[in-house]
Amino acid sequence: MTTGSRLRVMAGVYREYWRINILTTLEYRENFLIWLAFTVIYHGSAIAALWIVLTRFPSMNGWTFRDMAFLYGLWMLAHALHNTLFSTVGEVPEHIRDGEFDRLLVRPLDTLFQAIATPGQVFPDELILALITFGAAIWYSGVRIDATFVVFIPLIVIGGALIDLAFNLFISTVAFWFVRVDALRWIVIQLEQEFTRYPVSIYSQGVRLLLTFVVPFAFMNYFPARYFLHKAHEAASLPPEVGLLTPVIGIVAVAAAYFFWRLGLNRYSGVGH
Amino acid sequence: MTAAGPAIPARPRFRLEPYIQFAQKAMAREATYRFDVFTSVASVLVRVYLLRMVWVALYARNAAPSDLPLHAIITYTTVAMLMGLVMDIDQTRLLHDSLADGSIATDFMKPIIVPLYFFSDGTGEVLFHVMLIVPSLLLALLIVHIDVPSLSVICVFLVSFLLGYLVGFFLNFILNCIAFWTLEIQAVQLIVTWLTDLFGGEIIPLVIFPVFLQKVAFVLPFAAMFSTPLLIYVGVIRPDHYLQALGVQLLWVVVLALIATLVWRAGAKRIVVQGG
Repeated sequence: MTTGSRLRVMAGVYREYWRINILTTLEYRENFLIWLAFTVIYHGSAIAALWIVLTRFPSMNGWTFRDMAFLYGLWMLAHALHNTLFSTVGEVPEHIRDGEFDRLLVRPLDTLFQAIATPGQVFPDELILALITFGAAIWYSGVRIDATFVVFIPLIVIGGALIDLAFNLFISTVAFWFVRVDALRWIVIQLEQEFTRYPVSIYSQGVRLLLTFVVPFAFMNYFPARYFLHKAHEAASLPPEVGLLTPVIGIVAVAAAYFFWRLGLNRYSGVGH
Repeated sequence: MTAAGPAIPARPRFRLEPYIQFAQKAMAREATYRFDVFTSVASVLVRVYLLRMVWVALYARNAAPSDLPLHAIITYTTVAMLMGLVMDIDQTRLLHDSLADGSIATDFMKPIIVPLYFFSDGTGEVLFHVMLIVPSLLLALLIVHIDVPSLSVICVFLVSFLLGYLVGFFLNFILNCIAFWTLEIQAVQLIVTWLTDLFGGEIIPLVIFPVFLQKVAFVLPFAAMFSTPLLIYVGVIRPDHYLQALGVQLLWVVVLALIATLVWRAGAKRIVVQGG
């Protein structure tokens, strides 16, 4: 098969994947609505908690609630983009456990692509919600919308989603060696959700280094927000322009995770069904 | 199946031993999931560390509230996280599970009081987790320094904690009873968990909420779960208000127990109707 026809086949499969997703969502409407309520309340209560704290304590290391809303909105958008496109990667360990995964190995398309395009009940509701929230946050924070903003924000959001994907893929790959990875995933998710909520500058040196170089969640929202909100005075060891590096970090992280995935795949021999 | 329903009670003479057995069995079952428990302890420690940094940053740049100095709020959050190890357990999941796989039908046929069976199973699960609080507490103390109040305050705190646990138990029980009607209750449970986190004062003390939200929070049952014991622990609720605070908690226990009874009866009747 030539690369062109292979890509055409993949595009067809991917279209079909979304068609099934949307049909499934329409089939289970009540279920969809209740999970939508879940998403709204999850993000709503996180934002409410920030608002309550910053009403009483107006400045968090120089960040106001308006700044924090931008910080949250940016993370939420990147995270929602990841959840919409790549949440299926997180189901790989389950498929390895129940043997479903072996079916992907004997089909003539890239295994990771197939894992991404395994239909379920995915719907872009969180993404739509995140776009609205981020739009409101842009307006509310009063950030200046110039050419750099318009060009870089979409790239930064994609880069942030890639950082998320890298971790999702990394954890799923660990399942090739250790079948149960739920605990590991839970810790990483919590680390991400709680630590990206506040400006990284409030953390101790060790945590700052960790979030910058080891688990680079700081690039999902903190560094870009620091650049666009002109918080140059803080965490002065790195220049504000690093906030524009998110897309690069995202690509590097995914490349590393993909390399690890290939290693795991080569080693994988099933769980014995 | 009709004859086995609780609507026609052939009530056996009450004996306590079976329920103690149920609790012991639940403890043994939980012990096989040790790794999950280590995960939750680890994540509590991470959150204690995180929230300490958050409060330090907030107190550094702003005027501190007079009744909650920095050390008090760090104590508050740390104790809240440790309480969460027990309170965040869904003690009545067994009810949902036996509705899902249909074993509820045979539960009704056994010579036991079924809700009490779920209660003792949940309590066994919780007791296992309580044993893990001790090592977590010691580890938490390595990360942060927390205040230790006088012995009498600790006693009142424990009473209040117990009442809060019962409020949580009945709330969970009511939620799991929804499974009599639909098994899709996971999202509802998660929503209630977050409402508890926020309006129960688990992450932010209710006393620093804006006034109108405080009013909302104090009329919801969630405050009786976390806020009351915690505010007793850090001394915001003074001894002359203990009776009132515990009274409100007790009121919530009674109200939720009544609702739980009604929902349970309605649900159990449904089982009989479907089965008969």
